[in-house]
Amino acid sequence: MGSVQSRRWFLVPGVIFLLVIDMVPLVYSLGVSLYEWWLVRPRDVRFIGLGNYSALVLDPAFRRSVLVTCILTFGAVVVEFLAGLALALLFAQPFRFLRPMRAVIMMPLFVVPVVGATMWRLILHPELGVLGYYLSLLGFGNPQWLSDPTLAMIALILVDAWRTIPFMFLVIHAGLETLPAELYEAARVDGASWLQAFRYITVPLLAYIMLVAVLIRGMDIFREFDIIFVLTGGGPGTATETIQLLNYRVFGLGHMGQANAIGVITLILVALMCYLLIRAVLRTR
Amino acid sequence: MQTRKILTALGLTPALLWTLFPLYWILTASFKTELSLYARPPQWIFSPILENYKRVLFNIPFFQYLTNSLLIATGTTVGSLVLGTLAAYGFSRTRFWGSGALRFLILVTRMVPRMTLVVPYYLIMLKIGMLDTYTGLIIAYISFAMPFSIWLLIGFFDDVPIEVEEAALVDGCNPIGTLLRVVIPIAAPGLAVAAIFAFLVSWNEFLFALILSGVHSKTLPVVIAGLTTDLGPLYGEMSAAAIMVMLPNVLMTLVLQRYVVKGLTLGAVKG
Repeated sequence: MGSVQSRRWFLVPGVIFLLVIDMVPLVYSLGVSLYEWWLVRPRDVRFIGLGNYSALVLDPAFRRSVLVTCILTFGAVVVEFLAGLALALLFAQPFRFLRPMRAVIMMPLFVVPVVGATMWRLILHPELGVLGYYLSLLGFGNPQWLSDPTLAMIALILVDAWRTIPFMFLVIHAGLETLPAELYEAARVDGASWLQAFRYITVPLLAYIMLVAVLIRGMDIFREFDIIFVLTGGGPGTATETIQLLNYRVFGLGHMGQANAIGVITLILVALMCYLLIRAVLRTR
Repeated sequence: MQTRKILTALGLTPALLWTLFPLYWILTASFKTELSLYARPPQWIFSPILENYKRVLFNIPFFQYLTNSLLIATGTTVGSLVLGTLAAYGFSRTRFWGSGALRFLILVTRMVPRMTLVVPYYLIMLKIGMLDTYTGLIIAYISFAMPFSIWLLIGFFDDVPIEVEEAALVDGCNPIGTLLRVVIPIAAPGLAVAAIFAFLVSWNEFLFALILSGVHSKTLPVVIAGLTTDLGPLYGEMSAAAIMVMLPNVLMTLVLQRYVVKGLTLGAVKG
């Protein structure tokens, strides 16, 4: 009789599809990254070994993009984590009116990312923007959100935060729901303050799930493209040009070898980041 | 208790304003004339017009783009559901050497930066003449949607008791029949969630659509980002198009919210 074990064959089509669709481009990309190849000069393709990689390492634009990506990743993850945690703690309060609000808080998660960024571009617009108008009424002047290098980075972080705080919130919220109420009860009986209960019960028990949320978010913002492309396009100048945006620009120039080399380096950086974070996660267990 | 309630409400208010204001502003922007859109001070009360919607619907081939988006999203949903269901069922019911590692590898494919994939993908599609086709985008999107579908569905299939299946086998049902007639009906909610997420992956995707699509297969996010003239973005039209593209997503949020937490904690929604 077709034993249960024979069902392993069910996973063959899906797994093969996934590996082929992801691995073939990657292997191809690895190959192309070893060539000097401009799309406009198809006859002049030369093998240059690691030439593209060494050129990138020495290229100030590339180094800068790595730095910009790291700043954006760090800034966004910190803001999103703190806001998500605060919201989750707020929603842990035992009030019935909070329940329907959860669906509202979740909404930005489902907005088409490009559309979300478009909305924000209108809100942050120097002349038309509603935010600038009220800030100037309050005496903050009219910040040039998207044309000042620092403000453009802050704007990116805020817009990304708008879209993904709900994610942080939901993951931490789900984690909080699993914590046994008796622990807090006992802590209160023993005279622990709210802050002590948070520090000695919530934080240690939720460390794992918080790190998972940070890991996923960190990976996603590190490879973000859509909202940066729509909101700043990497500008002003190259102030917000992340690795992904630089890759897009090099690809647009038709410099195929180098574009693929950037892709490979990004992959290595993401893998490295994941490895370090996963190791940190496992250590807390 | 009463003070705590008030404090909670006070804390919630800025969070709600922050979440809803951009949505509210784009909704009103879609009903504003250019004049009231650009008015200073910003207009909170205005007489709504439908011009922006009319222009989007009739001045550009909106329905063509809508058809593209819908067909590609449908293809992605069906493809990732068929392949994902089979794979998840296989993973859920069997253990073999390396099956744990294989599961993890599937999750890892989700970590590959899209930009890293899109460059070789473009070159390969160029070579085999599949640039600007539905199939090219659908294949890419299925691979984006599948890791999540597989992980979500494994969880749902694990909950289906094996005895139910054994009973079906004894009654002469073959493995495919068992999956179709016994397991899938029980795990139906999971399949519905996986389907909706797969739809959204395709519906929302921008980078691949931007690079791989052309006149024949352009999808709505690319169209919205491209609603600009030499004088700058057409904010009124953009807002109207954005609202229309967002409608299915908002509906799905309301339907989905119960399942979202489960899905998210399994890791990784937006790819």
